[in-house]
Amino acid sequence: MSEAVKKQGTGSLGLGISVALASWAVPGLGHLMLRRWGKAAVYFLCVGGLACAGLAMRGGIFGADATDMFDRLGFFADMGAGVFYFLAHMIQTAGPDVAHASGDYGTRLFATAGILNLLTVLEAYEIGRGWRT
Amino acid sequence: MNGLFAGLTHFQALLFFALVVSVTFAFLSKRGAAERVEYVLWVFLAFLLVAIGIGWLMYPFSR
Repeated sequence: MSEAVKKQGTGSLGLGISVALASWAVPGLGHLMLRRWGKAAVYFLCVGGLACAGLAMRGGIFGADATDMFDRLGFFADMGAGVFYFLAHMIQTAGPDVAHASGDYGTRLFATAGILNLLTVLEAYEIGRGWRT
Repeated sequence: MNGLFAGLTHFQALLFFALVVSVTFAFLSKRGAAERVEYVLWVFLAFLLVAIGIGWLMYPFSR
């Protein structure tokens, strides 16, 4: 089906949703399903690199129990990183340390990884729908 | 991995951030290697210039 999408510029709602969900769960997976090998690799490396760097710098991860709007926005951004969000506690064994500048940078890097991944999700959805070649 | 990133300065973190984001933006918005390379360079340099510019603008207020 992905070849048809590529050649004819046609897709379907089902394909769009499935590749969007795959892209969100694992960065680049949706593009892999659409046989966009290069994009899949770049998105996985870029989103994964930013997320892992953020965790290595002991950045904070926003939880679902956010109390104010900024924390909720942070949670939304962090959730965008998909599998990296759910594995964050396994990757970041030392826990967050936002008392130091490095941890603060790490928080931003992880949130950026989530936002970037949401952009790739939108692109995968558009390709899946046939709106973009 | 922890050792590699834990000791990054603000500027080094900025370089890493700018590079990764510019590469992702290039793949999202441009087609063809030449166009992407050109876009990466522009966005990367724009990130650096804006960040350094804002840093200089904020410098008088740091004391």
